Amino acid sequence: MKAWVWRVAGALAFIVIAGWLWIVFFPNPEHVIRKRLAELSKSVSISGKESPLAVVANASRVADFFTADIEIRIDVPGASAQAINGREELFQIAQRVRMIGGLDVRFLDINLTIAPDKKSAEANLTLRAKVPGDRDQIVQEMKLLLNKLEGTWRIQRVETVKTLSQLGKTEFAKLMNFDGDFNCCGF
Amino acid sequence: MSMATNGGSEAPPWLRTVLIGRNPKRTAIRIVVLIVVSIIVFRFILLPIKVEGLSMMPAYKANRVNFVNRVAYLFHAPARGDVVAIRTSGISIMFMKRIIALPGETVSFHNGHAMINGNELEEPYVRYACNWELPPRVLGQDEYYFVGDNRAMPAADHTQGIASRAKIVGKVLL
Repeated sequence: MKAWVWRVAGALAFIVIAGWLWIVFFPNPEHVIRKRLAELSKSVSISGKESPLAVVANASRVADFFTADIEIRIDVPGASAQAINGREELFQIAQRVRMIGGLDVRFLDINLTIAPDKKSAEANLTLRAKVPGDRDQIVQEMKLLLNKLEGTWRIQRVETVKTLSQLGKTEFAKLMNFDGDFNCCGF
Repeated sequence: MSMATNGGSEAPPWLRTVLIGRNPKRTAIRIVVLIVVSIIVFRFILLPIKVEGLSMMPAYKANRVNFVNRVAYLFHAPARGDVVAIRTSGISIMFMKRIIALPGETVSFHNGHAMINGNELEEPYVRYACNWELPPRVLGQDEYYFVGDNRAMPAADHTQGIASRAKIVGKVLL
């Protein structure tokens, strides 16, 4: 075989290996966050009845996706607004939820906005939760604020988004004495 | 002895004819065209959906298949009474609601009746009486008010409210 064929093959192999190493050592933050959210949905989901030890271990794994000062604000129709403050409170709640015995959680249509410094990001997604055997499912649009701490993306803030708002842009602007353009559905 | 021949080649077996036709090349082109047309139609024009939940009862029952016409509002604005799909963070899961108030209007509920600019809205599609009382809300220039037909549940439990035109994915077809 001619020498130039070997040179071209070697150059191609070098490019492929260099590209792979680049992805391994400098991963795209968007891919990392999407992977992390996929892992979170798997960790939150419960496949079946768990032993008390597994409940603690799995709840701890879920809590690890969040920062120590995590703030969760839940405001959904038909229930009073709820707040969870801190990883410890979240851990306790995660343990109680895991007693249900079965839960399938999916994050759908994830839209990510990464800050220019690539240290924080905002995720807008739709959560779908289903208890096996139950006809109804929970569907909720959510906004997550993520921060990169010590090389790991963790969720610092979670809030529910009202797809259908109770106030229009004009009314909200009057209420807030604000006169700019903004997304009406983020409050 | 005489035999009928077809250009010297044997006639294809009936199963082969049914599955791939007399001309496999033409059949392959037809399949590709069909796949491309289906992807375009069912992704960008008529979005297939499965209805879940009870909020649009009795007009739209749970577990029925329907379609969202994504090009319905290309040439005209959404109208009052239209049943539309409203996007969440995407279109994997959408809300299916009816438009009852248009941009610039004031909407409220009094004694279970929808009031538009202070006048009662006639809603033949609402079959279950309710006693909803909701204060007036003024809609912005690109905002619509969406509510389900099933008003049997308390207003607080019923997902309803305001969203901008951009949130409307399309009109529910059937």
